[in-house]
Amino acid sequence: MGLVTLLSGILSFLVISQATRELGRFGATDLIGTLIVVAIVRELGPLITALVVAGRSGTAIAAELATNQVLGEVRALEAMGIDPKQYLVLPRFAGSLVSVFTLLVVFDLVAILAGFAAASFNGMSGSRYFDIVLESLRARDVWLTVLKALAFGLIVGVVPSYFGLAVRRAPTEIPIAASRAVVAAIVGIFLCSALFVALG
Amino acid sequence: MTAPPPPPPPPPLRFERVPLSLEVPARHTVAVLGDENSGVGLLAGYALGLERPPTEGGRALVFDTELWSLAEPERLAFRRRVGYLPAGDGLLQNLSLRDNVALPLRFGSGATPKEIEGRVNVMLAAVRLTAVAARRPAQANEEERRRAALARAIAFDPALLLLEQPFDGLTARAASELLELARGGESAEGARRTILITGQEIPPVILRRVEQVYRLTRTGTLEPETV
Repeated sequence: MGLVTLLSGILSFLVISQATRELGRFGATDLIGTLIVVAIVRELGPLITALVVAGRSGTAIAAELATNQVLGEVRALEAMGIDPKQYLVLPRFAGSLVSVFTLLVVFDLVAILAGFAAASFNGMSGSRYFDIVLESLRARDVWLTVLKALAFGLIVGVVPSYFGLAVRRAPTEIPIAASRAVVAAIVGIFLCSALFVALG
Repeated sequence: MTAPPPPPPPPPLRFERVPLSLEVPARHTVAVLGDENSGVGLLAGYALGLERPPTEGGRALVFDTELWSLAEPERLAFRRRVGYLPAGDGLLQNLSLRDNVALPLRFGSGATPKEIEGRVNVMLAAVRLTAVAARRPAQANEEERRRAALARAIAFDPALLLLEQPFDGLTARAASELLELARGGESAEGARRTILITGQEIPPVILRRVEQVYRLTRTGTLEPETV
């Protein structure tokens, strides 16, 4: 959460500071509402949040499941009549969904507050800032952001699990699985984001 | 005229052309030994439907059922009728020994948490692990881990037990105790459980307690060994 807060705060502060100055020269400061809603809340928020979770937890999921596989724990679970997908993958999948979604809420709130700080720093009143942000925010932006959070959470939960469980018996496969999982998850997140833009 | 006697029940475990063929009679303890390349380490996997038999028409039958041919949910459910102690114990490293023993009961029985706790306490006492039950596998010694893995294998009190390299690294005393626990006591008809032991070697003290010992050669032939 600390990393997401930091990234969100810095990104939003920098973008809104620059935008307030540059757009102010043309008298188009109203556009910072669109900028913060479309660029940060709807596009960069889900993307950066998912990348952070994929980098931090995706490697852990892949490495953990690969270790389970190498130590024979997955085979032991199957032999006991326990479905490894249910016991090992499902909780991680649910965790990814919840963490990407909640971190995205944190990201967006921090981004809006940091944008407010940046706008105030550049001479814009707080009430005007919140007016133009709320005017730009539509219901479609909210559900699109929620959908993205769920889709990215699914990728972060499923892709590393697949690579982790695909390991056979050699411990040397564990770091390979972890790095492949993160690369695949990042590619998946970008492709999915592009798909949202194309369809949206 | 008297009715013909009913046919004898099928053996609890039967391998047909995997490539070896073998029957493990009820209440018997049978050991199949062989080196690493002989394929002896795959027998339990064939029996549990974890591995596909390598030969055309080869199959492993457990209680007259070929697990490999079952759909995944039925296969998982059926496996609860068989105890399995994998090579290297297969304990989950992030769980305590107690939780490892409780795991199959939590997922595979309709018992309440209180009933499970009671059953786990009985199992831990039986394998003399009560004092170290809170330890993780990495904090336990090899004998304790093997005892925990056995307690987990017999959690459902199965009639058939598959033990892979169960005595490797154990003292003769520990190995004997482990086998006694696995057999589950004796009756006039033999042990309570049918057991298949696989591995490269087993201690002489165990060999004396096993009804049949076979050696699997690299060519896939099974040769009886004199005990």
